[in-house]
Amino acid sequence: MSKETRPLNDTMSLKREIRTYGFAKPFWDGTRDRKVVIQYCKKSGKFQHFPRPTSIFTGRRGDIEWREISGKGEIFSYTVTYRGTDRFRAVEPYAVACVTFEGAGVNHIANMVNCTEDELKVGMKVKPYWMPLADGTNLLMFQPDR
Amino acid sequence: MSLRDSAIVAYAETKVMDISDRDVWELDAEILESLLDKTGIDKAEIDGLVLAGLTSTGAGNVFWAQTTADQLGLEVDFCEQVHIGGCSAAGCVARAAMAIDAGLCNIAFLLFADTGRRESNSVERSYRREWIEPYGLMGPPGAFGLLSKRYESMFGLDYEMLGKLAVTQRDHAVMNENACEKLRKPITIDDYMNSRMIADPIRLLDCVMPADGAAGLIMMSKEMARKKGLHKRVIPIGYSERTNYGGAMNLVDPTLSGHKAAGEKALKQAGIGIKDVASFHPYDDFIIAILLQYENFGFCKQGQGCDFIRDNDLSYKGNLPLNTGGGQISAGQAACSSHNLIESVRQLMGEGGARQIKNTKNVLNTGIGWINYGRNWGTSAALVLVPGE
Repeated sequence: MSKETRPLNDTMSLKREIRTYGFAKPFWDGTRDRKVVIQYCKKSGKFQHFPRPTSIFTGRRGDIEWREISGKGEIFSYTVTYRGTDRFRAVEPYAVACVTFEGAGVNHIANMVNCTEDELKVGMKVKPYWMPLADGTNLLMFQPDR
Repeated sequence: MSLRDSAIVAYAETKVMDISDRDVWELDAEILESLLDKTGIDKAEIDGLVLAGLTSTGAGNVFWAQTTADQLGLEVDFCEQVHIGGCSAAGCVARAAMAIDAGLCNIAFLLFADTGRRESNSVERSYRREWIEPYGLMGPPGAFGLLSKRYESMFGLDYEMLGKLAVTQRDHAVMNENACEKLRKPITIDDYMNSRMIADPIRLLDCVMPADGAAGLIMMSKEMARKKGLHKRVIPIGYSERTNYGGAMNLVDPTLSGHKAAGEKALKQAGIGIKDVASFHPYDDFIIAILLQYENFGFCKQGQGCDFIRDNDLSYKGNLPLNTGGGQISAGQAACSSHNLIESVRQLMGEGGARQIKNTKNVLNTGIGWINYGRNWGTSAALVLVPGE
């Protein structure tokens, strides 16, 4: 099979265990209902991601609120992994994409599933794919928004 | 100007080892002894110890600098560990110069030692475990894979030009007896293009290989160096660093880095322009990082790095020599990533041997430290060195 038609692994066979720092709880709580909830700075009118303990724009914790967004977006960049990290050693090749959320202008890095390597393009439209986790939360991934 | 009142008077380094056969403290001792031999100073005269904090072996001990002083029997008035990742070596030079200028110490021993392959005690507490590990993005190669695809989509990317960088550095490592033996075999652009994919488009020959080793420098005031008759002097005349470039922005173009600001400031302090740079010794963890530095330092415009590489001779004999010791990618990433700094000092002292650069008017040495989330890197450093008068 050529590189282009080789199926990418969706990595679903790997159980994920998320080790969180706690202060991103609203994000993880949102995933229980398959909602993308990220941080927004009221003072500067901008989103920020990944979650931080304060506003990266003003340094004021009180400026941060959590807002639901669609979770749709477009691929900012991507890489196809041929040599995975320890637990991912058996599932290569798989894709990891950096996606810019529409209407938020921030990037989220996640696995890209349900697509072939030749479909992957910078600028490609994507939507969330939710992978259930043992604790009732879901891991946000992306799939083509065809 | 405080920086240029100080001088590097000696350097020392071990051969880069795939895995060290000695303990890290034994390597420390070798470096110390070599520097005492070269300078003729007495151990008791050393009153400053400045360690690079980029050490996986030392990472298990929050008292690493004091522990090291104790192992070597050094009683010092200034004890410092510099934690800016791959910028730590250049950062040590600036901080030692500051300490000497401020009268905190007179003779500083700068030590870059790590045996992370033999013994790693590093646990990284960062965004990675919550936001990256669940997706299996492999640390630096994954991050540079994302960066490379973004660059390619913006400007196009001629991978054979990255190959030219890899080949040039490898040719230099073949000439460097201290480079890791495993890597001292010539490669071609075809070898580069055909090396296996790790994180597409990052190939095996794009990546640095972690290795073990140690290096060190002795610094003192220029005045003291003259009094002691230490004739081989290398003077830092410009230094700047920028940490967390774009850190307060919601979206960052990862082809831009803190090297733009750091480079401008360091060159201005040095009183030279980018076209005056006689040889370039940039931090290299991935080949594309070199291309991005040509652009961000202003050797060429953003997006024109491949043309620049095509149009210039980057060998030790060329118009703009590149990492004449082989760079970390072809010498092995050892000694707290001090390799390119040590080579810069060696060249300015005229000790480059068969790979000696003709134009030793100055060097521009750089650092890159840590990988952030979906951008490029955490710290960018620039250090301009000249031979002492």
